[in-house]
Parts: sequence; structure tokens; C-alpha cells
Amino acid sequence: MTEFLETMVDKFIFKVATDRLYSVEGIWLKLEGNRVRIGVSDFFQQHNGDVAFAEIKAVGKDVSAGSEVATIETMKVNVELPSPITGKVVEVNPVLITAPEAINQDPFGNGWLAVIEASDWDAEKTHLLDSQAYFKKMKEDAEREVNN
Amino acid sequence: MPGIEGSFKVVIVPCSGIGKTFGSVSREAAYIISEDLRPDDTELVALAKLVMGEESAIAKVAGNPAITIDGCKLACASKMVKESGGNISQEFDVLDVYRRYKEFRPEGIAELNENGVKLAKALANEATVTIDRLTADNKGGQNA
Repeated sequence: MTEFLETMVDKFIFKVATDRLYSVEGIWLKLEGNRVRIGVSDFFQQHNGDVAFAEIKAVGKDVSAGSEVATIETMKVNVELPSPITGKVVEVNPVLITAPEAINQDPFGNGWLAVIEASDWDAEKTHLLDSQAYFKKMKEDAEREVNN
Repeated sequence: MPGIEGSFKVVIVPCSGIGKTFGSVSREAAYIISEDLRPDDTELVALAKLVMGEESAIAKVAGNPAITIDGCKLACASKMVKESGGNISQEFDVLDVYRRYKEFRPEGIAELNENGVKLAKALANEATVTIDRLTADNKGGQNA
């Protein structure tokens, strides 16, 4: 059962799942054996709005840390998501083809984006944030945005 | 069905989200339907009138089938029509329509870009299918 850190900023409630790591861009990573499932955070999806389309790199494609792994088009913006790690895409969430709103409805669960077979996890994970660190950063970002 | 001033009309209720692109698409689509495509079969009712409880607007919604066009997931148009006692024949969500017409990425607020207008036209065309069916059903009922 996933546990969450939770905060309320203005009228918005943001959750951060504690069982995974995060990139500064708001991509979560959950290690599953030698594979890493990725998705976007609750703050990311609320900040960017309702998702219209999600295009993920196809299964079999190689990604390197910092290269584009997905493009998410919302009502507000087009966001190119940089892969937080290097590896090969081995699975893409099929739900997103017909129901990209799953990213908004369940960002930490059914709205996952892809599974990457990581090639250098031990080294690259050191650049990621644990849930507490991401929670702190996210809260600061949310408060700054509300106050602007 | 009592109808508006004795005649049957399909009521079109768009989003009132001012300052939002998808809200603007909903209103543009409503204008295209009620002014260009099916002016004789439809009547546009402003959402603000329902929110303010204007009696004539509520009577139109309560006495005729409605098509709502929402600009976001809050679905204010659909909620207000239901609260006003209306019967919604079709609910449009602009985002869902956009997913069917990916090539028409809407932009702009006060003035929609060309793609925004195309998306509004696409939505309006989809709505005419329901309008024509409702109108035909009503005529069939009158002739029965």
C-alpha cells in the first residue's frame, strides 16, 4: 500500500508517494527489479492541467538521461519530459492511448508512463531526490507559484 | 415538450469560462450552431443567466432538450442545466472533442486561432447530429 506525504497550498492539495524517487522535473521513478517504472507527480499533473495527449517513446527505443522520453500535451502547455535515466524503453502504458486523463486521475498508479530497463541505475539514482526532498522542493515551488 | 414560446428548440448551453481557450472554443461552437448551422432549431442560453436564476432562462432549459458544451472538467454548464431541472441530451467536453481532432490545437482567448475555430466547427458539426435527431423526434411526435 503506497503511503503519501501531503500538503495543502492555497486551495490545492498535493501528494507525494513515499515509495519512489523523483527528478527535479517532477518525474517519479520506482525500481522494479532491474527495471524502472516512471510517471509524473501529482504536482506536475495539477500544475500543467488536463492531459489531451501523451506520446511516449516506443518500446525498444533507447533513452539517455536528459533526452526526451515523452511529450505531454495538456490544455495549457506542451511539455517535453526528459528521461531521468539511461536505458531502453521496455513497456509503455497502453491505457494512455485511449485514456490519457489517467495521468490526471491517478498519476502515481494507472497513469504511469513507461518502464525503462536501466543501464546505469546505481550511478544515475544519485542525481534523484527521495520523496522527502522532492516534497520540500514541490512545496516551495507550489507556494512560490501561488504567491506570484 | 412545452418548447420555447410554443415552438420546439434544442437549448445550447456553453461554458462561461472567460479567459480560457477551451471555454472560448465552447462559446464559438455554440454560436456556430445557433447562428449558422441550426438557427431555426436551437436557442443559445447563457450559463450566467442560469447561475443568476433568471426565470426565462431556467424555463427554456427545463422545457426543452439541452446540449451542453463544457470547457473543462468542472463541467459548470452541465451541472447548472441539471440544477435548473434540464434534460441534457448530449454533453460535450471540449478536451474530449480535441482528442478526436488532434490537428486542431486551439490557442488564443479573446480571439481564437484558426485551429480553434476549426475545432469549434468540428464540435458544432457533431452537435448537429443530435439536434437533427431531437428535432425529427419532436416532429414525429407531433405527427403521431
